[in-house]
Amino acid sequence: MRTIRARLAVGYAMALGATLLVYAGIIYIAQGSRAFAELDSRVRVESDLIAAILGESFRARERVVVADPLGRPVLTPDVASLLEGVPGYVIVVGAERALLHLSAEARSLPFGSARALIDVAEDPVTGGFGLVDLAAPVGQVRYFVRPISEAGPNVAAVVSAAPTSGFAVSPPRLLTAMLWTIPFILVVSLLIGYLLVGRTLRPVDLIVDEVEAISDGRSLHRRLAEPTSYDELARLTITLNAMLSRLEHSFGLLRRFTADASHELKTPLTVLRSGIERSLTHPTTSPDVMETLDETLLEVNRMTELVDSLLTLARADEGRAPLHLDDLDLREMLAELAETASILGEQASVQVSVEVPPEPVRMHADQGRLRQLLQNLLSNAIKYTSAGGEVGIGSALEDGKVVLTVRDSGMGIAPGDLENIFDRFWRADPARSRTGSRPGAGLGLAICKWIAEAHGGSIEVQSKPGKGTTFTVVLPLSPDEDESHF
Amino acid sequence: MKVLVVEDDRTVGQFVRRGFEEQRYQVDLVEEGKEGLERASQASYDVIVLDLRLPEMSGIEVLRTLRDRGIETPVLVLTAQDAVESKVQALRTGADDYVTKPFAFEELLARVEALGRRPKEIVPPVLQVADLVVDTGGHEVRRDDGVVELTPKEYAVLEYLARNAGRVMSRTLITEYAWDYHFDPGTNIVDVVINRLRKKLDQGRSPKLIHTIRGVGYVLKAE
Repeated sequence: MRTIRARLAVGYAMALGATLLVYAGIIYIAQGSRAFAELDSRVRVESDLIAAILGESFRARERVVVADPLGRPVLTPDVASLLEGVPGYVIVVGAERALLHLSAEARSLPFGSARALIDVAEDPVTGGFGLVDLAAPVGQVRYFVRPISEAGPNVAAVVSAAPTSGFAVSPPRLLTAMLWTIPFILVVSLLIGYLLVGRTLRPVDLIVDEVEAISDGRSLHRRLAEPTSYDELARLTITLNAMLSRLEHSFGLLRRFTADASHELKTPLTVLRSGIERSLTHPTTSPDVMETLDETLLEVNRMTELVDSLLTLARADEGRAPLHLDDLDLREMLAELAETASILGEQASVQVSVEVPPEPVRMHADQGRLRQLLQNLLSNAIKYTSAGGEVGIGSALEDGKVVLTVRDSGMGIAPGDLENIFDRFWRADPARSRTGSRPGAGLGLAICKWIAEAHGGSIEVQSKPGKGTTFTVVLPLSPDEDESHF
Repeated sequence: MKVLVVEDDRTVGQFVRRGFEEQRYQVDLVEEGKEGLERASQASYDVIVLDLRLPEMSGIEVLRTLRDRGIETPVLVLTAQDAVESKVQALRTGADDYVTKPFAFEELLARVEALGRRPKEIVPPVLQVADLVVDTGGHEVRRDDGVVELTPKEYAVLEYLARNAGRVMSRTLITEYAWDYHFDPGTNIVDVVINRLRKKLDQGRSPKLIHTIRGVGYVLKAE
């Protein structure tokens, strides 16, 4: 969700950035050519003006070129003084590339620059516009060469030129301006884009929240609000509602199945149990038969427990597994557990200690389930600790919560297995299944996790292979009424 | 005490009847809800044990009709579903207690006893085997007139054996009684308790009272 929002905002900013760059490029080029057009018309107008002056003078006096004292051809002084009135670089070239006139500005150029301009002027064959680079500070110069025929045979062409720096928008300046403004615009548009996308996606957020609230298993009868428009989100809503209906239907089937299954499985178990119990307690039953019956009874009990666990977990998936909350004293329960622990420990030659709190600990909890949780963890700890090891059960009160720890010095759990141990039917060593040295269906810890969580608490495990394992159960003294299921 | 058992499964029904009869209860066993309702309306029972799932007329219907007719006999329902809803429904309809199938007979008996408010004289609160005395009221055990201090589990095992004195009780039955049958320690936890009991009761005394039946369990008797 957040990434879509970020991705859309970034995409939007990037598109805007690209558009800006293209726009800036076009402006840059357009601006440059407009400036050049202006410059061109100026130099052309100047050359036209000079050509007109020369033409008029020639028609009035029949002569515009005279020989200077050295015999070189120059413009007549009155024409030359007329031309001095034209600004910029002006050069008049005569026949045989004779340099007839240089304007004051052209004359004031450094030698190299003047030469370059004169070179352009002395090659008037092609005519037209051109660019030439002069030394600083003048820089690039735009010139126009205009061949002249109206001023007699001695005048061939006129060159007028002007530096581009005064006209063209200087490229570096435009670029700098753009480089400063574009990032700023991008940041602003990124922000605006982020906000806009957030606004657009907020209905999706709402839908997600609603679906989460519905799909916790207890509210499947609820539906998302019917949309009033018919946009993409409305279609999503309709699809989700249809999906919820199907889910509700299958959950209903599952619920009926678990109810039926509990009857279908438990009634024959009751029949089995009563038959065995009856035979076991019959005075004439021989010890051989009793032994077999007793083993059978144990298996019936295990199967009963398995069926019970399966049904409990199946119902827990729907959020409907029952807790029978009652007021109880945890100290009493731990004291009772301590005796069982010492008996189990003696049996397995494991040193077992149970910390019984000095004061009564009043709790609101499901007594049977809580005992099951502790007994499961205890018998697990002893089961996985070899003779001579230690098992300890600790209890502490921490801001309104009970912290119970069950630690052993057993074989430990491999780090890779830690995340799986609360899974159903999961066993660290598949070879040691029901018939092995450590029997069990693999539901014990899954049930423990459910019991802890149904009380609004948690269960965690820490383990070092070869060193031992510690289970930590944190339970509120009184579960939140909303979280308990009964 | 007079008990009516309404249970459609013959094996379970017979088992319950036999168990009650051993406690010298007077038991009527019927297999159908309608018949159960008739019997309950005519005769006066101390307790009715009612299976919830019966053919034709369900246990809940039987219960509702009974209460509608103003018959207040305590009713204990048997249910296969430990779903809270069905128990709550039964309790709201007027059941006094419930036992979830499958159940150990001792549990059913204890609950029926509680409902029937059985007079104290019928089961002597003090059990005696030779010179061993188990006072089930005060949870006190004496031998040679000296009080023997027992832990709760030791007491529970001893009481179970004393209640069934002279009869061999299997390990699983003893475990179920002292713990509950949901707890499967996976080991012969009873053997440890018996060892402790022997140290406290039999050591240095004669006759030995606790006897091992190899492979099966234990019996409490004088010889």
